[in-house]
Amino acid sequence: MKIDNTGPLEYSTNQNQMNILGFWIFLGAEIMLFGTLFASYFTLENGVGSGPSGAEVFEITPVLLETIILLTSSFTIGLATHAMRINHKKATLVFLGITLLLGLSFLSVEIYEFIHYYHVGLTLQTSAFSAILLTTLGTHGAHVTFGLFWGLFIFLQIKKRGFTPETTNKSFIFSLYWHFLDVVWIFIFSFIYLKGMM
Amino acid sequence: MKELFPVKQVMGYIFSLVLTAVALSVYFLDMSFEVGLTILLVTAFIQAALQLVFFMHAGESTDKKAIYTNVYYGIAIALVTVFGTLLTLIWGYM
Repeated sequence: MKIDNTGPLEYSTNQNQMNILGFWIFLGAEIMLFGTLFASYFTLENGVGSGPSGAEVFEITPVLLETIILLTSSFTIGLATHAMRINHKKATLVFLGITLLLGLSFLSVEIYEFIHYYHVGLTLQTSAFSAILLTTLGTHGAHVTFGLFWGLFIFLQIKKRGFTPETTNKSFIFSLYWHFLDVVWIFIFSFIYLKGMM
Repeated sequence: MKELFPVKQVMGYIFSLVLTAVALSVYFLDMSFEVGLTILLVTAFIQAALQLVFFMHAGESTDKKAIYTNVYYGIAIALVTVFGTLLTLIWGYM
């Protein structure tokens, strides 16, 4: 395995560079996946039937909380990548740990929100609107849940093995994934919640 | 401690919070639907670009052309899907 030490460790082997490029291609497909969900949402959002509409059930406080939590976690995972590049293992683990805790808080608020929807009579089967709303939010939430486990395993690997071409590559790719989830949330925040409450 | 908080990242974070505050104005201030939606479109896309360039390090490796081409392709298909759907299923019947 040829190791190139001129750039960051996560780019040091040919395989590593391919992994990063491959992950960007996956993210391109994810953009399209969420594009189809947004297209469906805009088509179905007025089909509330006898159930409540978005304006009636959305609450600004939890939504704003989720947004700030996710923006901050995107910042801390960026700091983790930076700390990794200056070879600061402890700081990397701290920032990665904070990111995962923020991710967990985000999910807790989202679960609270789903319970609230259930109590006000908005479930997957209520209306076309409720179905696409919960599918879109659920797809994003499922990505965050998956990311939590993925990030936890990377945390443990860095703790155990330190910085190697493999662990740095994995954690860099994880940071791309996490930033991407933040980008998707920004669109959900803007075009589902704020637009719905306007 | 200071070397752990690079200016670029901190500025990116502050800027993203400012953009969120601007987007929030559509909820707290009284404005027409068109103006509100324009604000949301502008803030959301700047926010996305910010994450991509400041935080995701797009453009720092030798294969940045392939990465950007792929991202633009994904965005183009997503936009065509969203606006094509709106055109054929919503706006056409208004």
